[in-house]
Amino acid sequence: MEEEQTKRVVILGGGTAGWLSACVLAAENIRRGLGLSITIVEAPDIPTVGVGEGTWPTMRGTLQTIGLDEATFLAACGGAFKQGSRFDGWVSGAADDSYLHPFTPPAGDDLAALLAAWDRDSGQSFAAAANAQQAVVDMRLAPRQTAMPDFAGALNYGYHLDAVRFAALLREHATTRLGVIHIADRIGEVIPDERGGIAALHGVSHGTISGDFFIDCSGHAALLIGGTLNVPFMDRSDMLLNDRAMAVQVPVLPDSAIASATIATAHAAGWLWDIGLPERRGIGCIYASRFMADDEAEAVLRDYVLANVPGATGQSLSPRRILFPTGHRERFWQGNCIAIGLSAGFLEPLEASAIVMIELSLRALTENFPRSRAAMPFLADRFNTLFRYRWDRVVEFLKLHYVLSQRPEPYWQAQRATDSLPPRLAALIALWRDQPPSAWDFPHVDEIFSAASHAYILYGMDFPLPRYLPPPAPAARRAIADVAQRSRAMLAALPDHRLCLAATAQQAPGAGVRSAS
Amino acid sequence: MSNHQILDSLAHRDLRVRMESSAALGDDVMACLLMPAEFRRAQADFPILFRRDLQSAAFSAVALFGFENGENLFLEEDRWDAAYKPLAQAVKPFLIGRSRDDASPAQVHVDLDSPRIVTDGTAGVRLFTNAGQPTPLLDDIAQQLGDLDDAFRASESFFTALTRHDLLEPFRLDVPLTDGSNNSLVGFHIVNEDRLRVLDGATLADLHSAGHLMPLFMAVASLAQLTALVARKNRRVGGG
Repeated sequence: MEEEQTKRVVILGGGTAGWLSACVLAAENIRRGLGLSITIVEAPDIPTVGVGEGTWPTMRGTLQTIGLDEATFLAACGGAFKQGSRFDGWVSGAADDSYLHPFTPPAGDDLAALLAAWDRDSGQSFAAAANAQQAVVDMRLAPRQTAMPDFAGALNYGYHLDAVRFAALLREHATTRLGVIHIADRIGEVIPDERGGIAALHGVSHGTISGDFFIDCSGHAALLIGGTLNVPFMDRSDMLLNDRAMAVQVPVLPDSAIASATIATAHAAGWLWDIGLPERRGIGCIYASRFMADDEAEAVLRDYVLANVPGATGQSLSPRRILFPTGHRERFWQGNCIAIGLSAGFLEPLEASAIVMIELSLRALTENFPRSRAAMPFLADRFNTLFRYRWDRVVEFLKLHYVLSQRPEPYWQAQRATDSLPPRLAALIALWRDQPPSAWDFPHVDEIFSAASHAYILYGMDFPLPRYLPPPAPAARRAIADVAQRSRAMLAALPDHRLCLAATAQQAPGAGVRSAS
Repeated sequence: MSNHQILDSLAHRDLRVRMESSAALGDDVMACLLMPAEFRRAQADFPILFRRDLQSAAFSAVALFGFENGENLFLEEDRWDAAYKPLAQAVKPFLIGRSRDDASPAQVHVDLDSPRIVTDGTAGVRLFTNAGQPTPLLDDIAQQLGDLDDAFRASESFFTALTRHDLLEPFRLDVPLTDGSNNSLVGFHIVNEDRLRVLDGATLADLHSAGHLMPLFMAVASLAQLTALVARKNRRVGGG
């Protein structure tokens, strides 16, 4: 039946989620010949929420999918390379308390053997024994040389970016290259259909905008999935206690070093993020209002900026306060409407899960795009099951960072309280006392946080080695020696992060002569 | 133009060097010096020819990459299309320096005017760590320079033996190409196989015990690569 086919996709909201959805869906529409028209409705006066400025390595594939070259992307977004997250002060709060969760997985494919061969008593961190990335991050080097082909690196990497400029780049690309129709309008009314879905949006100046499939990217407002379809919000603040943030953008000196990891520094009642870009650093203080007042959080933020950003002065800082819910929808796909981005859920940005959840949602959607209304109930069920699993895994992984802490403050004790612990995580932590994390614990395809990620957190946070490990094998010892040798070679070969970004910007089309490679 | 300096962990702490193969970086040469110790590895790719220095009358050996100046048929779009790169070419822009006192230790020199020297910090590989320790690259370079130096010192007796037994003869090669043009290769020598064949047992035993016999036959065998090199040239002429 003609009317049942999915022809018109309408995206509501134009932040990172909306424009990324538009670009990915439009690119897949062309590649797979889906025959869709894609319209995005963006309110002209709603500012983009500036969270989620760190991506995962998955973004390299996403950019390739939508047809953006790396130099253009970095130049347009004022972006930088991200090689992982560094956690300062999370274990004890002491001055030398710091560990890295790098994007590059550990050497070899046998974590138990690697742990057995790792000489923990020597003081070498697990991340440094497992691969060369920590050495490179410590020296603030880029993960790649400028002459390498786009999106190729010596080490695994993602990006730090200015989310507002990223959305602008995606908007330009979607509308000029990918045939996405852009309507700047506010929505006065959502018109439901008789089958528990949505028939049309009513724009204040454009009138009726009908669609067969709707993507709700309206942010925390969740206008369609929550407002119209009444899918309940599942609050997870019983497990993750933070609910506020104070955020600032701090300009940096032109020649200052740029970190290539997100730096997350624990404080008495939460933590601070620090994301380095060529022109500024995005710094924020996340806290639990139950344990810290706003002015205290602002003072924590100010102290951090003054201590860590060369040339910064406290007077010029005017932090923006952000209140955020912690949790996600009970279902993300209801009828003919899918929620992607903040409308689907939000968790504190401790492991930059926001943008990757958007990418994973889009992959699941485009690889199984509902060609007809009849296909939707089954696909929606499957999607909802998968993403409930994924949100649960993110909650557990974030919680792991708190559970392993030994900090004494009341906030940290509350984060460790047994009744705030997801039961599955508690069981796994008990298991990991006997054996290391493995693919058995995280068996899905595209598992959001792998066993390797868990290992970086566990052994970065002084979790004891498993009671039962194989005897140290020569192969694993060699692998660790190879890592040391590779670290030396990379320190010699990889360029300074800032210099590399400047040279890459020169390669962007229109920025001058593009190199032969 | 060159500007040779002794490599110094202080003055050259941040120096970066591009070691990949490319015409722009100076690999567009038709031949390079080859040590007898390298003949075994080189003969699988390159014709090995001999040259006589007009002033000293001393012989040396080269690996042949092309048929005219500036032509390197083993350079494919900035890729070295052979399993082996002769040491003399591979170590550039580094050289061995030695003071007049021959017994003093050799030093690593670098040609700072080489296009391989990177000044903007975004390409190439560093030679020293921030702490002034050599990087793996410099370790490799020093190893190769040492090998080259040893091989060079050992080569003199090889060429003396070849001269003593009059085993080299002038060689001229006309290379007719499939496009009708013609290249001539003149001024080189090759092993005189007739004379090699009639050497008596005692002489052969001497050459063998001195380690000269194997490189001698490797040089003979390498001439089979002339055909392969002509084929490379024809592909390039035809494909160009």
